[in-house]
Amino acid sequence: MSDPLKTRLKQLIVTTLKLEDVTPAELADDEPLIGSGLNLDSIDALELVVTLEKEFGVKIASSEESRQALASIAHLAEFIRARADPARIAG
Amino acid sequence: MSQPLAVRLQASGCLTALGNAVATHSALLRGEVALRARPVLGADGGESVPLALVQGRGFDETAPPNWLPAVRALVATLAGEGWGSARRPVFVTSSNFGVGSLYAYRRHGDAAHLAFGTPHLCVEWLARELGWGANVTTVSHACVSAHLGLLLATRALEAGLAESALVFSFDFISPFVTGGFNALKILNAGFPAPYADRATGSIGLGDGAAFAVLTRDTGDFSITAQSLHNEMHHFTANRADGAGFAACLEPLRGAAAGRRVWLKGHGTGTLEAGKLESAALTAAFPDAPLVAWKGSLGHTLGSCGLVELALASESIRSGHAPGTVGTSTPTFSPAVIVEPFSTQTTDAVVCASNAFGGAHAAFILSHA
Amino acid sequence: MLERYLHALSLCDVADEDPAVTRERLKDRFPRGATRRMTQLGLLVGVALDELTPLADDTVVYASAFAETRALEGYLDSFPSASPTLFQTSIHPSAVQQALIGRQHAIRDFFPLTGRAHLVMQAVQTALLSRAPRVLLCGGEERGTWLLQQKVASDRSFAFALALSAQSSGAIARISLSPIPDPTAVDECSLHDFFSALRERRPLDLAGPAGLRLNLTWR
Repeated sequence: MSDPLKTRLKQLIVTTLKLEDVTPAELADDEPLIGSGLNLDSIDALELVVTLEKEFGVKIASSEESRQALASIAHLAEFIRARADPARIAG
Repeated sequence: MSQPLAVRLQASGCLTALGNAVATHSALLRGEVALRARPVLGADGGESVPLALVQGRGFDETAPPNWLPAVRALVATLAGEGWGSARRPVFVTSSNFGVGSLYAYRRHGDAAHLAFGTPHLCVEWLARELGWGANVTTVSHACVSAHLGLLLATRALEAGLAESALVFSFDFISPFVTGGFNALKILNAGFPAPYADRATGSIGLGDGAAFAVLTRDTGDFSITAQSLHNEMHHFTANRADGAGFAACLEPLRGAAAGRRVWLKGHGTGTLEAGKLESAALTAAFPDAPLVAWKGSLGHTLGSCGLVELALASESIRSGHAPGTVGTSTPTFSPAVIVEPFSTQTTDAVVCASNAFGGAHAAFILSHA
Repeated sequence: MLERYLHALSLCDVADEDPAVTRERLKDRFPRGATRRMTQLGLLVGVALDELTPLADDTVVYASAFAETRALEGYLDSFPSASPTLFQTSIHPSAVQQALIGRQHAIRDFFPLTGRAHLVMQAVQTALLSRAPRVLLCGGEERGTWLLQQKVASDRSFAFALALSAQSSGAIARISLSPIPDPTAVDECSLHDFFSALRERRPLDLAGPAGLRLNLTWR
């Protein structure tokens, strides 16, 4: 069964980064988000951070921390679960 | 390409949060840090980040911009008249000009701010206020802007198009720019420690304005070589092999051959760029001491090349260069000097700056 | 006197075309996925430059009065959660960087200028003082939205690029700067006026504040 948080994160990534020719379902849980076949870079990572901060109320303080959080969809979901108010995750 | 024409530096000056060039130089020698923790968006709040504002200036935008008195005071120390006439061109350089005014307009709806919001409106206003003529060329390439102004002024002198040339740089921080750097996650609660080998990088931002008067044959200092390189690799990252830094420095190595140089690096406090920059500088100029001053002054953006030129010339004139204020060991390179040092056993300084887009610029300054 | 010869010319005029339409129309001209963050001006300048095939030894001179207006507007609208992408993209000279970074195309000398009444004269002077064998002089503007309503943005989108060299053979035009004895009377020329002269292959004769006369003559 799919994880609703991961599904939501994938949708956010496609929308926020205006990914062309990519659907949320095509994003793998465990592949690196940055520097992989998606051609995402550090600015994409930061744009995602802004969206995540707004969406889940989490705070990511530095570019180093954002790099760790965005290692993969699975890693990001874990990061959000550990930091965000559960009500916002459900939301 | 390296520029073989040696132009003279007839005069230079700067204004930072620590005062004019002499006051700033003295404060840096004492190890003073101008940066203070302030809300990133000024009156609109946000997390506290290290910012350095010129004394008496409020952070939030006013109409006209509240940095005009500071600029007037700086320009009042500039000798000569007729700037902006045919034979005395002005090269204005900035990254942000008055763009903070557009932020103020968007937030508060006061149309009075619009008169300063675009680069040309801002520079036209400034030229009127400072009594400059129409021969004002405006250059904007983020944090290497000032270097480009120096090179264009050099070329105008070389071609005989000018008797003397004024390069004027300014960047006064606003929520527009602090918000942007904060979004890039390199302006955060941490204070900058340029070239320090630590877990998290961070920068500070500071106000800066400066001028340099260049001539063909008058002045105590010479700019003996200038170099540019644009990696065009990534907007906010450099090539991982440091080739962009090396490509900019390479033409200067020949010009510095046989001279005992010291290095004034860009050194904002970010980790990747600091590591690459210090490695490239020490590879190009082995054994040369390396310092950067943004750990105290903050990054003065488009003005940094000219602000630091004024401070480097003050260092040569006084025989003492400030160390890398705000930094402690371990550093990326043993060449990084934390404490002040004597410049009396050196012949020249290599001044380097870098900018978004992998832009690199450097020049050599020495006694004439 | 300073002079160079114009060997190639690329013009893009989309007037008030919607940026999304421009992106869709031009996206095949760029590497896959490269256009999703590009501004309309970045797309237009990118196409104009690309048609001249930039070389590593070229000097690039770039002129724009307003530059990336839409990104600037979007960035200002994004507060208090400032967008890093729009901040980055709004900074002059992003349009050229968007184009050249997309192709990983390093260059040595790059001079981004801004200004208004004398911007064309100053960009030409910068180009003619270059020591590079070839200079690419490019420029353009992007139509604004709410900044245009306040008259602090361009009312149309366009871009151009010229390839200039010292060789006269095969040139389509000559561009020169020569001293004038009395520089008190100076002409004004907006970037769009210059663009129109290029499009119509119209000669130009302008006195500038540096005491130089700009002449553009077509062959």
